Amino acid sequence: MLKFIVRRIFWTIPVLLVVIFLTFTMMRQIGGNPFRQSERAVTEATQRNLEAKFHVNDPWYLQYAHYVKGVATFDLGPSLVVRGRDVNDIVATHFPTSIQLGLFAFLFAIVLGVPLGMIAALRHNTWVDYSAMFFSNVFHAVPSFLIATLLIYFVALKAGWFPTSGWTSWEHKVLPSIALGFGPMALFARLVRGTMLETLQQDYVRTAKAKGLRYRRVVGLHVLRNSLIPVVTAAGPLLGFIITGSFVIELIFNIPGIGQQFVDSVFNRDYSVVMGLTVLLSVIVIVANLVVDILYGILDPRTRDVRA
Amino acid sequence: MRTKTLWLWLALLVTSLALVAAGCGGDDDEAAGTGATTEESGGNEAAEQVITVNWGTEPPSLDPGLASDVTSANILFNIMDPLVKLDEDLKPVPAAAESVETSEDGKTVTYVLRDDLKWTNGDPVTAQDFEYSWKRTVSPELAADYAYQFYGIVGAQEYNSCDPKKDDCAALADKMGVKALDDKTLEVKLTSAQPWFVQQSAHHSFIAVHKATVDKFGDKWTEAANIVTNGPFKLENWEHSSAIDLVKWDEWRDAASVKLTRVNGRMIEDGTTAVQAFEAGEVDVLETLPPDETARLKETPEYEKYTALGTYYHGFNVESITDVKQRRAMALAIPRQSLIDNIAQADQIPATGMTPEGMPGYDAINPASPWLPAEGDMEQAKQLMSEVANPKKSITLYINDAPGHREIAVGIQAAWEELGIESTIKQQEFQQYLEFLGPPPNKDVDVYRLGWIGDFVDAINFLELWTCESGNNSTNYCNKEYDALIEKARATEDNDARYEIYGQAEEILFGENGDMPIIPFYYYTYQGLERESIKESFDRNLLDQVDLTKVVVTE
Amino acid sequence: MSVTDAREEALATEPGSAPASGAPIRQTNLWKDAWRRYVRNRAATLAGVVFVVVLLYCLVAPILSPYDPNKINFTIASQTPTLDHPFGTDKFGRDLFTRTALGGRVSILIGFGATLAILLIGVVYGSISGFVGGRLDNGLMRFLDALYGLPYLPFAIITLQIIGRTDMWTMMIALSIASWFTTARIVRGQVLSLKENDYVRAAKAVGARWYRILGRHLLPNTLGVLIIAIFLELPGVILGEAFLSFIGLGISPPDASWGAMAQEGRTVFRSHPTAIIVPSVAIATLVLCANFVADGLRDALDPRTRET
Repeated sequence: MLKFIVRRIFWTIPVLLVVIFLTFTMMRQIGGNPFRQSERAVTEATQRNLEAKFHVNDPWYLQYAHYVKGVATFDLGPSLVVRGRDVNDIVATHFPTSIQLGLFAFLFAIVLGVPLGMIAALRHNTWVDYSAMFFSNVFHAVPSFLIATLLIYFVALKAGWFPTSGWTSWEHKVLPSIALGFGPMALFARLVRGTMLETLQQDYVRTAKAKGLRYRRVVGLHVLRNSLIPVVTAAGPLLGFIITGSFVIELIFNIPGIGQQFVDSVFNRDYSVVMGLTVLLSVIVIVANLVVDILYGILDPRTRDVRA
Repeated sequence: MRTKTLWLWLALLVTSLALVAAGCGGDDDEAAGTGATTEESGGNEAAEQVITVNWGTEPPSLDPGLASDVTSANILFNIMDPLVKLDEDLKPVPAAAESVETSEDGKTVTYVLRDDLKWTNGDPVTAQDFEYSWKRTVSPELAADYAYQFYGIVGAQEYNSCDPKKDDCAALADKMGVKALDDKTLEVKLTSAQPWFVQQSAHHSFIAVHKATVDKFGDKWTEAANIVTNGPFKLENWEHSSAIDLVKWDEWRDAASVKLTRVNGRMIEDGTTAVQAFEAGEVDVLETLPPDETARLKETPEYEKYTALGTYYHGFNVESITDVKQRRAMALAIPRQSLIDNIAQADQIPATGMTPEGMPGYDAINPASPWLPAEGDMEQAKQLMSEVANPKKSITLYINDAPGHREIAVGIQAAWEELGIESTIKQQEFQQYLEFLGPPPNKDVDVYRLGWIGDFVDAINFLELWTCESGNNSTNYCNKEYDALIEKARATEDNDARYEIYGQAEEILFGENGDMPIIPFYYYTYQGLERESIKESFDRNLLDQVDLTKVVVTE
Repeated sequence: MSVTDAREEALATEPGSAPASGAPIRQTNLWKDAWRRYVRNRAATLAGVVFVVVLLYCLVAPILSPYDPNKINFTIASQTPTLDHPFGTDKFGRDLFTRTALGGRVSILIGFGATLAILLIGVVYGSISGFVGGRLDNGLMRFLDALYGLPYLPFAIITLQIIGRTDMWTMMIALSIASWFTTARIVRGQVLSLKENDYVRAAKAVGARWYRILGRHLLPNTLGVLIIAIFLELPGVILGEAFLSFIGLGISPPDASWGAMAQEGRTVFRSHPTAIIVPSVAIATLVLCANFVADGLRDALDPRTRET
């Protein structure tokens, strides 16, 4: 197990190099001048001074080497547009916000989704099951921007229970987390129900029941544990998706996370910020996958040997 | 030399700003402001003088040398103390400076600072601070956008253009014509007589910074924890992309006149989200409104409208749409009033020339173009179109992707379709868009949309755009006669004479025989929402600046 | 039927779980059986019918509609639904019933186009990797691992910015460029497991050429999985397109996709809520149906998971 983990961690290094190289190459293809942020033309002297200051005219391999060196020393360079701020600062201010949003959404999804799926499975083929599944299917399909818009209008504006936007107090965090967590919640409910139904039909569960073990205990120990495997599998990519996919929610709720920052930076041609954020997002996706693999190994020992 | 012309026009304009614009523009502004608010005047001061504004976006920099946008400038003017300030009529009045004197030959300006100036850390504000700050902004190392603001000063352009690898930049810095004679006296040597220089020094790039703080924290000196300021408000808190909160600084020289004790500032970029925040009571002031919501919000008592100094236009690539008759026909075909009423919806004024209404001398300058009737004239447009020898029937209309532009483009597209012109709308993000437009513009561009908001109050700021060498002329239009007129206007000090020249220039563009390189679409207005308790005292001037020291919350 | 998430269940059909039953000779029966099984699944049948109805609506409504979808008429702008305009009109006075159909064409075309692109790249990459095996397989898979780190939405955004314009084609490219990795893995797994099947071995033993094996034995057997995969990928792609449009990267007007219409609708939500609800519900309907159809197809084509 340890060997497996160490190997996986080492493997992230070449992966990161590839990601950096791809982002780096792609960003160089985008037209636009980061030093001109308004209709006003920039004077020649200023443009020259800025290009010199940020080394944007060096040959590409020098820039790439410089950048990789920076990443290795955890220095992502200065922003080209937001003067006086480093990408490190930007990451430090905005990243925790996005992580928080992602985690809250994820928590919301698990806390509501897993029990919903369990209840549906235990009350298989009753109206409880049907309505739970109907709603989770629908919520999985409705785009988050509609959910967010409706939540803001009815819950924040009309009822006045929560603020409409921002990310300061806990009240601010409720609606965005719900809006982002709705889809995953529905997904979890469906996943848990599916595997739980399967597990309940397994022989050992039937045997346990027949043996007179208490139903509750059976469900608690065996069934739940097995039912969580697909949830964990889904959790990795999903966590990555929630964090990177929160662009729309951040926009609608005016949350200062990296999603909004990323979009702004792409539009402003702030190359260093885009690079930095992409590398960071990749790390998240990679780490999320890694964590899942490890968890998976713990929950389902069979997979360990195969994957190691 | 682009840089040279830049300061030349700047100079001229600022002059006019001082002399002319003040009266004219100010009146307009006043009318817009007071007309709506007088009826609810006379409220008592509220016990709690706290407001929440929406800055709209993260200010790119709060370094006076680097800031180059309205948001940053607006915050800077409220936390810093400039030498001179523009009053309501946009006339310069001494602020941190006690007096300003210009020598007889006009080439030396001397500022004498007040005695009671200090920084928030207790240090006195000195003339040396200003010398240091100005040279810092001009220095090639800082690479400031607004370095050209200083080009009227002896040696500034040379210093700014110096190459650290080849030249002795330190020597060039010493030669720059700004010098602190003593703690209180700042002497500025100009390259020529520039009667506008004093007004120009009200620009935010002339604000002083605290040297010890800049030296200590480098790039990070503007963070709330580090910054040392000297204005009516202190920067209490700066959460990037989220909030900038100001608190009144009780030790400021004129603190007694400042009513607000605290200004909380959010940064809500999305228009719809911002309106929701206003309606939920989370912010008290909005300075921009999404076009789609305007019709509804106009009916609310919080709605406020101000005159702006700007023109929204669509430019032709004249190398692609070569026939002037087709350009005229395309201008005639657009029912601009109807598009304004139904889409833009902010009571913008259909443009009849490049120079916007509210500009000093507007009546003399405006060409009242026959090709720009407010409602359009489809009949005449079709007639003209039929006379075009080789019409371009399939064109591409470029816009940048921001709320409102697409809708207007769709309206134009429909009008041109009726004219028999098939147009494809392509939208790009602003950065890409600007690069795409050049000049020279990408070959694929037939028509493009842009706007121009005045930097200062003189028509040359708008007309200079269409000269051959202009860095903002993406039309490929080049008319020597027009350029000559603009040059002539620069050399003309008398206002009426200059307006007449401007008028001739406009005639070349849009008159009966005009070349129509662009279609001026409308003149901008500023609109916003202001809580009724501050509506009376909250004002935006023609350049979209807000003086928070004047704001009072009433009950 | 087991209700599980699309991509994850698809992932789970990696090595070993392929529809290994039967040689190609019994193809016709296989499909007939599948059809019978599918029709027995009421939810899936209903979803399929709705799906077809939506497709027909998008196809036919603009042709039959008396309204020019791009004709501007401010006198009837922003109307609520009436008999003349079942979905109301937008702020230009254009009939939303017609425009929603047109938007649907764009969304669905982009959806299918990108899905097919994803499958094409995935199948080519995966089957080469699986079929050739050995070192090449190893290399390709390691490279795929690296690509897995790429966050999909950021890369779609950067891609669109590089191309510099957004129309249906560029949208398809942007949406497929960073989302074919899972498909490639599935296909490789399929090919690997099929390769070991007796009838393939037999074919090899009698000296059949590789393309014959691939064309005659391997591909037909993966067809079912591919059809399922189309419906598994479709919802993600359609939602992806909607998100991109929503943050302002939609296709050029006057054309509009459902995502772009929703974005426009959000700004007028307060005075004219139908403008966001109609396209959002359209997206949700299509996604919902695609999910159910995928479930139904999986149950029908993969006897292993057949309901007992």
